[in-house]
Amino acid sequence: MSTISVDPVPGRSDEMVVNMGPQHPATHGVLRVVIGLEGERITRAVPHIGYLHRNHEKIEEARTYFQVVPYTDRMDYVSGTQNELPVVLAVEDLLGVEVPQRAKQIRTIFFELFRIASHLVWMGTAMLDLGAITPFLYTFWDREIILGIVERTAGARMLPNYYTFGGVRRDVHPEFFKDVADFLDHMQRRMPDYEHLVLENPIVHARTKGVGVLSKERAIARGVTGPVLRASGVAYDVRKAFPYDAYPDVEFEVPTSSDGDTYARFWVRFQEIYQACKIIRQLLEQTPKTGPYKGKVSPRLKISGERYRAVENSRGELGVYVVGDGSDRPYRIKHRGAAFTNLQVIPDLFIGAKFSDAIAILSSLDPVFGEIDR
Amino acid sequence: MSLLSEVWQAVKALGTGMATVHKRVYEDAPTEFYPYVQPDLPAVSVQSLALVENEDGSERCIVCLQCERACPAQVITIERHRNPEGKGFLIDRFDIDLVNCMYCAACVEACPVSSIVTIQDFEMSTYDLHTLKADIDFLHEQSRRSRRWYSPKFGVEIRTDDGKIVKAPPEMQPGGLAELLKPAEEEVDQ
Amino acid sequence: MSYIPIPEDRHFRIKRIGYDPGRSRPWLERLVYSLYVFAFWGFVIATYAGVPALFDALGWTAGWGYVVMRATQVVLLFLLSAVIALMLILALRKYLGKVQERYGPMHYGPAGGIQTVFDALKLLGKEDFVPAAADWLTFRLAPAVTFVSSFAIFAVVPFASGWTLADTNVGLIYLIAVSTLSTYGVLLGGVSSGNKWALVGALRAGAQMVSYEIPLALVFLSVAVWGGSLSLGRIVDSQMGLWNVVPLFIPFVLYVISSLAELKHIPFDFPEAESELIAGYNVEYSGMSFAFFFLAEFVELFLLPALIVVFFFGGWHGPLFGLEPGTLAAGALQSLYFTIKTAVWVWIFLWIRATLPRYRDDQLMEFAWKAMIPLALFGLVLAAYMRLIWR
Ligand code: SF4
Ligand code: SF4
Repeated sequence: MSTISVDPVPGRSDEMVVNMGPQHPATHGVLRVVIGLEGERITRAVPHIGYLHRNHEKIEEARTYFQVVPYTDRMDYVSGTQNELPVVLAVEDLLGVEVPQRAKQIRTIFFELFRIASHLVWMGTAMLDLGAITPFLYTFWDREIILGIVERTAGARMLPNYYTFGGVRRDVHPEFFKDVADFLDHMQRRMPDYEHLVLENPIVHARTKGVGVLSKERAIARGVTGPVLRASGVAYDVRKAFPYDAYPDVEFEVPTSSDGDTYARFWVRFQEIYQACKIIRQLLEQTPKTGPYKGKVSPRLKISGERYRAVENSRGELGVYVVGDGSDRPYRIKHRGAAFTNLQVIPDLFIGAKFSDAIAILSSLDPVFGEIDR
Repeated sequence: MSLLSEVWQAVKALGTGMATVHKRVYEDAPTEFYPYVQPDLPAVSVQSLALVENEDGSERCIVCLQCERACPAQVITIERHRNPEGKGFLIDRFDIDLVNCMYCAACVEACPVSSIVTIQDFEMSTYDLHTLKADIDFLHEQSRRSRRWYSPKFGVEIRTDDGKIVKAPPEMQPGGLAELLKPAEEEVDQ
Repeated sequence: MSYIPIPEDRHFRIKRIGYDPGRSRPWLERLVYSLYVFAFWGFVIATYAGVPALFDALGWTAGWGYVVMRATQVVLLFLLSAVIALMLILALRKYLGKVQERYGPMHYGPAGGIQTVFDALKLLGKEDFVPAAADWLTFRLAPAVTFVSSFAIFAVVPFASGWTLADTNVGLIYLIAVSTLSTYGVLLGGVSSGNKWALVGALRAGAQMVSYEIPLALVFLSVAVWGGSLSLGRIVDSQMGLWNVVPLFIPFVLYVISSLAELKHIPFDFPEAESELIAGYNVEYSGMSFAFFFLAEFVELFLLPALIVVFFFGGWHGPLFGLEPGTLAAGALQSLYFTIKTAVWVWIFLWIRATLPRYRDDQLMEFAWKAMIPLALFGLVLAAYMRLIWR
C-alpha cells in the first residue's frame, strides 16, 4: 500500500477520505496525510512527502566542502547549527584535523542552545495544535533570546553557518558567555510556567496520556530516534553512545520514559530542555574566555575516503555519509534525517486513533519539513 | 475520596495555569515597533551585501574572483580584463543575484581586501524581483547609503561625513574577545 | 556597465502611518475605549427606558403603537449587539495581546480603538462566495439562523428590574428552545458547504449539542425550582438577599461548563477547531455570511455570561443608595451593576480562551453523560429539598 486514492473505496460508503495537508494548519509545514475517516476514527493513513524537496544531496555533491556547510543549515531550519555538525565532524575525521578544545566547547554550547530553541518551538506549536494559543507566543519570545545570542556571534539568526572544519568561523561575541548565563537564568524562571501550562495541565493529560502508544519493539523496528525513541523506553542517545565534541567532558542524563505515549514524548522533551541547561552551565564554567577557536585547515582541502558521522540533534540521530574521491568536492553525500525516519510511524500510530488524537500525535513527533523533504 | 482529590488536583492545575497566563499582563511587551523604531542589529548581522569604494572613489576590489569561487549559491558573476596600464585587473561586470543569495557571508570571508562586505540594511522588499539582481552600481550605492559595514578582516568600518573610511570605535566592534581585550591591557600598562 | 537599470523606487518604503509609540496620548485612548462602554450603556437605557417613555409621551401604547414601540426596541437592541460585538472582539484581542506579551491592535484609532470597525468594513467589502458544491439556499440561510437564534436570547434578559423586552412566565423554556436553535445554523451551514472539514465540524457540533443540552436543561430546572418561577425577572427578584451561587453551587459549575460548550468556546471548540478542522463549519464562509457567524459568536459571548449573572449572581442586584426602585436613575444603576458583573464573567471566559487547550470531542460527551447529568440530577434533587426545607 504505497498510496491510496482520494476517492473512497468502492463498497465502503461509510469511509470518508480527507486530505490532511499540505496546507493544513497542524501539519507543521507541508506534510500531506491522506486519511480515511470512519466518523472520527482513522481507518487508513498514508503520509505523502516531497512538497518541499530541494534536491539537497545532489546540490551538495556539486559544491566544495566549504560550500556544503551553509546548505546543511537549510535542512532542519529550527535547529540551526545542529545540522552543520555531522558534515563538519566527518570532514574533520577524514582530514585528521586537530580541533581546539575551546572550539569544541563553543560548538557544544551552540548545539545545546539550538536544542532548547527547537524544543521551545515544538512546545509552542504542539500546544497550538492542542488548541492553546498563548504558550506559542511565550516560547517564541524565549526562542527569540536564543536567536539574538546566536545573531550577535554568528551574524544570522536561524541559519547561522557558524561551524566550520576545525572549529567555528569566528570567535564568540565578548558578551556571549554573559548572555548565555542570563538566558539560562531566564529559562530557570520560565520553565515552571511552561510546566504549569503544558505538563501539569489536566486537559493536556486528557489529550495525550495513553494516546498514540509506540511500543519499544515497534519503535526500534521503524528506526525512530531521538525523543520519540527515548519516550518508548530505549535509552539510545548519540551523545552518550558515540560522544562527539565536548560531550565526553560534561555530565548529563538521558531522560527516558517507558510509556511510549504522546505524553511521554512531551515529558522527554521537557526533561531534555533541563538537561540542555545543565550541559550549558557546565560548559560555561569549563570554557576559557579567550583562546583558539579554529584549527588549521587548508582552504583547498581535498578528501579521499568515506565516513559516517552522526549527532543527536533535537529530533534524533542526524547523520551524514560522506564519500570523497580525492577532489575538493564530495563524491557522494547522504543525509540520514531524524525527522524523516520518525515520520515512518505515522501509519502505526494514526490508524485506529481519533482524528483529534492524530493531531496530538503528529505534534509529538515534531516533524520539520526542511529536513524531511531535503 | 480519591476521585474528589483528583478533581481538586485538576482544578488546582487549571487555576495555576490560568494564573500563570494572567501574570504576564503585568509584564511589558518586548515588542519592537519596527517601522517607527529601527531595530538595533548587532554589527555582524548579515542583512545585505555591499561593495566598498576607496576614499578617493576608486575600486577597493582587486577582482581576484575569490568571492565568486567561495559562493555556495553561485550567484556572483564577475567578468574582468587586464589593466592595460599598470598591474592587476579591471572590472567588466560584478553582479550578485540577491534574490538567490542565501546571505551566508562566505564571499565576505573569502575576500582578501574586504571589498565585499555585509551591511545592516534589510529593507529590501520590492515589487519586482529583478530589481534585486544587483550590479556594481547597486552594490556601491548599498555601501554609500549604509555608511557602516562589517567584514571579518577589518571589523566594522564607518564612512564619515567627509567621505573618509575609518575603523569604528571598539565599542562598535563585534570582534572576538581576544581582539577586544587588547586595548584594555594596554591601558593598564600605561 | 550597468546591465539592469536601477529604478528610483527600488526599495519598498514602509508608510509610517498610524500609531507612533513616541506620541501616544493615553487620555485619547481612554476616551475611545470608554466611548464603547457609554455607547453600550446608552443603548441599554434608550431601549428599556427611553423608548417606552417616548411612546408613553406620544400616547402610542396600544394596538399598532405598541408594535412599533417593540420594533424600535428590537432595532436598538440590534445596534446594541453590534456595539457588543465590536467591543468584545476588541477586548478579546487586547486581552489576548496583553496576556501574550504583545500589544494587540495598535494602528487604527488611538491604541487600536477602532480596529474592529475597520475589520467589519473589510468583511462588508469582501465577496460573499458560495462554493459550487454548496446547497445555495441552506448555505445562505445558516448564518441567519445562527444569528437570529443568538439574538433572540435578548428578549428575556433583564438588564434591570422591569427592563426586559418580554418578562414572560416561560422564560426558561424559551431560552432552551432558542439557544438550541443556534446549533442548527451551525449544522446546516456545515452540512450544506459541500466541504468535508465543514461536514465533520457540523457533526461535531451536533454531537456536542446532544451532550450539553441535557445538563443545561437540568440546571435550568434546578434554578426554576429554587427560584420558584420560570420567569427570569422573578428568578432575579428571588435572589434579593442571597445570590443563587451559594445554594446552587453544583448547578452553577455545570452551567458554566455547559455554556462554554454552547459557546463553542475554547476547551470545547470542536466544531471549529482551527488546528484540526481548519475552521470547521464556517470554513467555506466569507464576507458578510462569515460576519454573521462571528457576530452571533460574540453576541453569545455576551449573553451567556449575562445569563450566568442572571441565574447565579443576582442579576441587577446591588446597593441602590436610596434610589426609588423603578425610576430611571435606579434602572440605570441596576443595569450598570448587571453590566459590571457580566463583564467580569466575560473576562473569565476570555481568560479561559487565552489559557486552555482543547479537549477531544468524545471526552466532552463522556464527561457530559457520565458526570454532568448525574451531578445535575443530584443538584436538582438537592435544590428541591432545600426549597422544601427553607422556603
Ligand atoms: S552571501 Fe553567500 S550566497 Fe550570498 S553572494 Fe555571498 S557567498 Fe554567495
Ligand atoms: S573576493 Fe573581494 S577583491 Fe576578490 S573579486 Fe571578490 S570582492 Fe573583489
